Amino acid sequence: MICLLSLIVFGVLAIFSASYRPLVKEAFDCVFRRVTLRKCQSGLDVKVKSKIVGKLMGKSTKLARGVHKYFEVVSWLFVVLFFVSLFFSGQALYNTIVYDNCNGPIGEDGENPFCILTGEGGDVVEQEVLDCGDPLCEDGQCETCGSSCECGSCEG
Amino acid sequence: MNVEKIREDFPVLKKKAIYFDNACMTLRPKQVVDKVVEYYNEYPACAGRSIHSFGNKVNDEVNSARKLVKDFIGAKKESEIIFTKNTTESINLLANSFNGERVLLTDREHNSNLIPWQRFKQGILRSNLDFTFNLERFSEIVKNYELISFVATSNLDGYTLPIKEIIKIAHENNVKVHLDGAQFVPHNEINVKKLDLDYLSFSGHKMLGPTGTGVFYAKEELLKGMKQFIIGGETVINSTYNDFVMEKSPHKFEGGLQNYAGIIGLGAAVKYLSKIGLSEIKDHEIRLRRAVDVSGLKLIGKNSGGIVNFNVPGVNFHEVATILDTSDNIMIRSGQHCMHSWFNANNIEGSARASFYLYNSMDEIKVLNEALNKLKKLG
Repeated sequence: MICLLSLIVFGVLAIFSASYRPLVKEAFDCVFRRVTLRKCQSGLDVKVKSKIVGKLMGKSTKLARGVHKYFEVVSWLFVVLFFVSLFFSGQALYNTIVYDNCNGPIGEDGENPFCILTGEGGDVVEQEVLDCGDPLCEDGQCETCGSSCECGSCEG
Repeated sequence: MNVEKIREDFPVLKKKAIYFDNACMTLRPKQVVDKVVEYYNEYPACAGRSIHSFGNKVNDEVNSARKLVKDFIGAKKESEIIFTKNTTESINLLANSFNGERVLLTDREHNSNLIPWQRFKQGILRSNLDFTFNLERFSEIVKNYELISFVATSNLDGYTLPIKEIIKIAHENNVKVHLDGAQFVPHNEINVKKLDLDYLSFSGHKMLGPTGTGVFYAKEELLKGMKQFIIGGETVINSTYNDFVMEKSPHKFEGGLQNYAGIIGLGAAVKYLSKIGLSEIKDHEIRLRRAVDVSGLKLIGKNSGGIVNFNVPGVNFHEVATILDTSDNIMIRSGQHCMHSWFNANNIEGSARASFYLYNSMDEIKVLNEALNKLKKLG
């Protein structure tokens, strides 16, 4: 399953650097063979696995052993995580485009949880108080409140 | 043999790399690299055709390299030394001019000494169960062949065939002997004259020489009857539109402009090895091989000379090589080592191979042992 991840990761990197393109080809060949229930022949899975295990072995033999033994499980886990995060990212992007925030339409209670894409979170920001320069601020609604000008009436 | 002093001649070793892939290709000392650079900087011209001072200098250097190689293998004449690209080309040269039909090979040939003979009627002599050469069976069947072409030392496990006995038996049966010396010549003293060897092929890159250098040796009387392999420039004395007059050996076999820098570098490599002494080198390699902690490893083949061929149970051989490289900068070979036929016949998918040479040290073996011990725990 690591080949699928490699295909995606190297695929993105290959857009910017030609040196990744042979790896994309290798990863594609591997994925194609795996989806047709054949063994990956390119050796990319072995290469990626052993590179990771080799790095880990210098730090913790136990961890390296675990990754080596359960590499396929770990790979699957990362593949699932990848698609789950891809789904939520896609959804958030859609909401941001359509509703101007990543959480979609605001609930009836006015609650809008933190959204990393807009940087806004918690309670809904009061939209009624508009700035004097705002075209929505009709004539006669502008009032000077202290040092600033606000659309509507001065509070307090 | 002072390994520390020898290591100073190999600048690449300052990179803290542990290089155990010497059966594939060795590193080069600065003496060899300097000689190659000298050619390009001082006299970068043609040999054998131009009579200017650069050309004469190249001629002298190439002739000197040929003499060094001749002395190195104990040949009778310099004209018996033909420079090629590598062992594969040398064997192809022989196979191309072989007029017979039946060739006997061992079951542990490198592809370079297997594929060129597949167009002939091949006999494959199986090794004993302990991977040694079956001399008894060889004595019985050798008479059925016109040529035997054996790997002198196997790149699989470093096992060396009983060459003297083989040549003696073959000649008693009027059979010519060719040895693939790619793994033998860099590690053993050889005297083709004393051995009465008919043909020998070996590579420069496995004995500190530049890449793209190889040697084919044949007895003078046999060379006379051999067909040319690559013909054209430098292989003829004269030509008309329809015919040509062949050069004498070695030039009749060295078609086209040669790898002069490489040949001159090979001469320097031979000089370097001769100065240290091949028996010293061989002993050193054996000491290194014996110091490898092979407990818990599945050994492949006989494991002699300076080669350890193994598998780590539960770890793929390519993984072994990559992990050793990533974790400890140890470079070894993995796969089927260009001996697919042997691996297929023995139902073994592949193996990892560490091969040693004169610049490898006991400290490096300690690092290998520690890394192998960690690897064994992965399985």
